[in-house]
Amino acid sequence: MKFFLIGILYTLLLLTGFVNESKAGEAEENRVDLIGKVVDHYYLDFKPAGTIELPRIIYDRGSFHFYASTTRLINKSEHFTDAHYFGSTDMQEGNLKPSSYIIVRTEDGTAPQLDLSITSHLVFFWLAGALVFIIFIPLSRKYQAGTGSETEPKGALQNMFEVLVLFIRDEIALQNIGPKKYLFFTPYLLTVFFFILFMNFFGLMPWGVSSTADISVTAVLALFTFLATQIFASKDHWKHIFWFPGVPVPIKFMLMPVELMGLLTKPFALCIRLFANMASGKILIFSILGTIFIFSDLFGPGVAYGTSWIWVLLTLFVYLIKALVSFIQAYVFTILSALFIGLAVADHSEEHAH
Amino acid sequence: MNPVLAQGLLDVDFGLVIWVAITFALFMFLLTKFAWKPILKALDDREKAIKDSLEDAEKAKSEAEQISTENEKALKEIEAISHKIRKEAQEEADKIRADRLEKAKADSELLLEQTRIAIEQEKKQAMSELREEVSRLAVEAASRILNEEIDEKRAKSIVDRFIKDINGVR
Repeated sequence: MKFFLIGILYTLLLLTGFVNESKAGEAEENRVDLIGKVVDHYYLDFKPAGTIELPRIIYDRGSFHFYASTTRLINKSEHFTDAHYFGSTDMQEGNLKPSSYIIVRTEDGTAPQLDLSITSHLVFFWLAGALVFIIFIPLSRKYQAGTGSETEPKGALQNMFEVLVLFIRDEIALQNIGPKKYLFFTPYLLTVFFFILFMNFFGLMPWGVSSTADISVTAVLALFTFLATQIFASKDHWKHIFWFPGVPVPIKFMLMPVELMGLLTKPFALCIRLFANMASGKILIFSILGTIFIFSDLFGPGVAYGTSWIWVLLTLFVYLIKALVSFIQAYVFTILSALFIGLAVADHSEEHAH
Repeated sequence: MNPVLAQGLLDVDFGLVIWVAITFALFMFLLTKFAWKPILKALDDREKAIKDSLEDAEKAKSEAEQISTENEKALKEIEAISHKIRKEAQEEADKIRADRLEKAKADSELLLEQTRIAIEQEKKQAMSELREEVSRLAVEAASRILNEEIDEKRAKSIVDRFIKDINGVR
């Protein structure tokens, strides 16, 4: 009954608000590009305050081209233009706005060799990195000064991060890699953990972007784990892949492609898992909030306003889940990296006598 | 071209890959050098210090325990020794007392004996004196009675013989 009344109240509110909006007739303009919220951009989105275009760096035919922003590139460059404007006649105006942000050569409309432009995901990747530096460089100074090494750790920051560092060293690195080599890989695991954690957290902030929701970023991280496993792999690791011990020769040949595939699926799974988890969280939040507008279209604005509290609460719930997932995914990526490294570097000649 | 579909979710941006790879490697290198290594070293140092001090404490405790048991043992030994000494002293004292007692007894007996002997001699002497006196008196009495000058010497020998006989009877 109570909610019904609230629904009616909302309906009244809407009769004033929504009518105005439909008068403006800008439904197309207000449409939210859901995937666009997740994918990478060549600008930082601070809507409604505006956007900040990021520098474009293009490598083509043996030389680098720098532009302060996409707008500058389109208006100033003789070599490149926005794909949207390619071939159009009003190109010389000098007051063009970027449209597709995809850069093509002016002469034939083909893509340049390499687009090294700074993107929003890269900026937030760097921000996460900067945050790791801002937190851990003073912390290491503190440790070197004696606090924490000779005495107990002091202060919330040191205590909080020491717990995480010790957890990664003792529960992730030591447990999965073994006492002989774990200290060598701990710095890598620490770097990966805190980078992913902070990147995930940036996705929870207003206007923030989580770089881990980009498959390119997760692919690089997975690639680092893959390289770590391959470069520091033991002899046993290669033996297990190309000549599996303890099975008949025909089986050995059958196992070879399987093991090779396993070699590649591990980093691939790492990459996809992190990316999918982080991207899906954001898509889920937009989808749930979008339900309000879908209801508005399907059942009328009254129902949409009346049920909006459900979707807002659900969004809050998903948001909290996302905060949890930020931790879990950073942990999962780190522990799986440690596990794969541990499997590759282990000398398990006597353990696998099967 | 539709701007919405300009970039899909699964598109890999190679420019971004290169940037991320280079900067991540750089960040990792710098962080390892300036953050992780010092922090891990500090934690390791602290753990070692704690472990060492715990071991030291354990050692000190066992040492203290050892010292205490040694002390106890020494105390017991000393007690035993003192007990022994006391016992020996007691025995010595008993022995000395017994010796003294015995010696005193012997002395007293000796004294008694000597006294007895002395008494005996006195008695003997007294007897012999008495005998002599008696014999002289007898001789005198006899000579007076007889009024006769008998050889005093011969009479004396007769009396002596007579007394001896008496002695022999006695």
